[in-house]
Order: sequence, then structure tokens, then C-alpha cells
Amino acid sequence: MTHVLVVDDDPIITDLVAFRLTRLGLTVSRESDGEAGLAAARQLRPDLVVLDWMMPRMNGLEVCRALRADPDADLARTPVLLLTAKAQEPDLERGFAAGATDFVAKPFSTRELVSRVTAALPPGSVPA
Amino acid sequence: MTVPIAVAGYASLLLVAVTLLVLAAMGLGHRRRLRREQHEVRRRAELTPLVHTLLDDEDERPAPEVTAAPALFDELVLDLLPSLRGSDRDALQRVLATRGVLDRAARDLGSRAAWRRGRAATLLGSAAGTEHTAALVRLLADPDADVRSAATRALGKTGDVAAAEPLLAGLTAAPGLPRGIVGMALLDLGTPALPALRDALTTGAPTAQALAAELLGMHGDLAATPALLATLADRSSTAPSCIAAAGALGRIGLPTATGALTGTLTTAQLPAVRRAAADALGRIGDPEAVVALTAGLADASPDVRAACADALAAIGDEGRGRLRVLSIAAGPAGTAARAALDVLALAPRRTREVLG
Repeated sequence: MTHVLVVDDDPIITDLVAFRLTRLGLTVSRESDGEAGLAAARQLRPDLVVLDWMMPRMNGLEVCRALRADPDADLARTPVLLLTAKAQEPDLERGFAAGATDFVAKPFSTRELVSRVTAALPPGSVPA
Repeated sequence: MTVPIAVAGYASLLLVAVTLLVLAAMGLGHRRRLRREQHEVRRRAELTPLVHTLLDDEDERPAPEVTAAPALFDELVLDLLPSLRGSDRDALQRVLATRGVLDRAARDLGSRAAWRRGRAATLLGSAAGTEHTAALVRLLADPDADVRSAATRALGKTGDVAAAEPLLAGLTAAPGLPRGIVGMALLDLGTPALPALRDALTTGAPTAQALAAELLGMHGDLAATPALLATLADRSSTAPSCIAAAGALGRIGLPTATGALTGTLTTAQLPAVRRAAADALGRIGDPEAVVALTAGLADASPDVRAACADALAAIGDEGRGRLRVLSIAAGPAGTAARAALDVLALAPRRTREVLG
């Protein structure tokens, strides 16, 4: 079953994203800060990470860079979707430079999020 | 002697008993509060999925369980609303309207209690569309400062561009609106507010003109360049307007502004205006400004000299070459040039980022 890790310090966001992705037929895990998110990614090996940028302890870009630099090649290739209020042009540049696969700007649309999650996962990962 | 001792004993016992009673009452109160909080957490957890299902629902009429949900449901919807946009936001707004939350808030805008008016304004700003703009605009003249601020923020969040003009006018009204909050609200209105900002730049009161110039620069509005140049050239413009216009021209970054900015750097009376012109020239990075900026290294104001040196450093090889030549000279120009080169040598990338 396709596994998504959602890392955001706002429980309102993690609850909603988890709800929508679970209804899509995906397994969802949640973490509320960057450090715990990175540890969970290393332990759970998710198929995709939905990541906030501004978080306590370790921000989303640091998590993204750490994932890309991981010695485990599979984990280093995990798609990362940044779900963030920082979505101006320079932010996009920094996010992609850190290894983000895609962006969803907050305030966000759950339909757009679902579309981007589906697009970032390998074909057939999301149940029809 | 025995009677006073007995009285003292009874008094001590009474004191201990009262203390124990007070402690017991406090413990009971704490326990009740804890239970209430736990109950609310449980209720929130139960109601949250119901709120989430609203986002799937394309039906205009809410389900019976939504209509019958307790008031806590509205709080959950209001908590979620600022995080969402598009059809999700529309769905939540529809539910709030159906449950009468928006009508109640609209009525509360006329409440005698200031906190109620402020709360209603905040709610309508984050939850309503454009239908309450007129009522919120009236609150910009509310006697209570907190209510005026809440209405200002709310008008930005409604996204109704009709609010731009009253927001700018509120800067000079009595009682006036805080400049920073008006600025944030106008930024929240986004690019549809640009025509109103351009109007305020050319015809507004000085306070509105300065804020409009600043915001047009933040938007990088190319179409505002002629009006910004005119503001800079107009002798009747106030210093804050000139500083904001120079800053905006720097942010926009068109080299066509170089001539006007070098003129300001050379002729403006106030050091703050000359400094703003130098900063803007550094941002634009046009080598045509090198001569004026080099002359600015001999300015009477140390702030202006430092800004000119930083701008020369930001301009590139030509500017930095000029700094190296000047750095061997004595006097204030040489000092400023050496300082700029020192900063460049210590953190060349950072300096380029900041100044560029």
C-alpha cells in the first residue's frame, strides 16, 4: 500500500491532509516537526513526503536536503511535496534547489493537493 | 493561661480546616476545568471529520448532521478556513452562511460592545465574501482603535478591491488607521489593488502617496514607473513620498530611472532622501550611476557616503574598480570606499545578495 508521510506543525493541516489522502486509499503517517519528520522518513521509508517549510527544530528545506543526501539511494529519491506559505519565486528556487519535487502554496486547495500527490507518485500508486 | 491557649488551639484548627476547604475547592475546580477541556478535545476530534467531509460536498444544501451540529462546529470551520482557498473555501463559507454564523456576525457589527464588533469584523473578514464590505468600511471610523484595526485587516482578507480606496483614505482620516495594518491589508488585496495604488500615488494625500509608492515597489509594478518618477521630480512631494518612490524605483529595477535617481542623489536636501536614491541605484545596478555614486562618497552625511559605497559595490566590476581607486585616497570618500571593500572581502556573496 502506498505510504505518505505528512510533516507539519499545524495539526489542522496534518488532520485535513491525512483525511483526504486516506480517503484516496493511501496510508498516512504524521509528524509535527522537521526533526521527527526526518526520523520518521528514515524509519518508515514512505513513498512520498508532504512537507511544511517553516517548522520548529528543523525546517522543511533542511529535511529535504537531508533526505536527498541520505546514503540510502531509495530514500534519497523519495518525492517531496512542499506544502508552504512560502511560495514566491525566490522561495520556489530555494525549494527546488533543496530537492523538492513540487510545491503546493498555502492557503491551498485540497483538490490541487490530491492532484499533485497523485502526479508525484509512480503511476498506479493511487487506487483508482 | 489555659483559656487563651485553648482559644489559640481552636483558631489554629479553624485555620487548617479553612485552608483544607480552599485547597479542596481549588482541586475540584481544576478537575472540572480539566474534564471540560478533555470533553472539548473529544468533541473536536468527533466533529473534525464532519468538517472535512464538507470539502467533498458539492451539494449546495448541507447534510442534516451539519445543520444540527453544535456551535463548536463553527469554530472548527473558522479555524480551517484561512488555510484553504478555491472550492474548499467556498464550501466552508456556504456552511457558515447556512448556519447563520455570517448573519449573526453582520448583526454584531452594530453591537454596543466594542469586543463584539471587533470579533464580528474579524470573522467576516476571514469567512465572508464581498457582501459586507460597506459595513466593514463604516467600521474604519469606529471610535475604538482595536475595532478599526480589526476592520482594516478584515477588509484586506475579503479580497474586495473596492476596499482599497477607503483604506487609503483612512490613513488621513480622524481617527486615523495604523499605516502598517493598512499596508498589510492592501497587500492582501493583491494585484487588483494596483490601479487604486497608482491613483493614490498621483492624487492622494502625502501619507497615502508614500504608502502607495512603497506598495507599488513591493509589487514591482512597471506601469507605476512614470508616476514614481514624477513623484521624485515634484518639488512639492514630501520626504517620505520621495524616499518611498526612490525605494520603489529601486525594487522595480528599470535603468530608465537611473537619471532621476542620480539627480535626487545630487540635489535632494535631506540626507535620508539622498540615501534612498543611492540604495535604489545599487539595486538597479546600472553602471551609468557610477559617476554620481562616486561623487556621493564625498557627501556630508556618513549614511549617504556608506550607501553610495554599498551601491558601487553592488553595481559590479565598474563600481568595485572605482572603489579600489578611491580606497587609497584620504578623507571621507576613501574611508567609505575602504569600508565597502572590507565588507565585500569579508562576505562577498552576502553583500551581493543584500545589495542586489
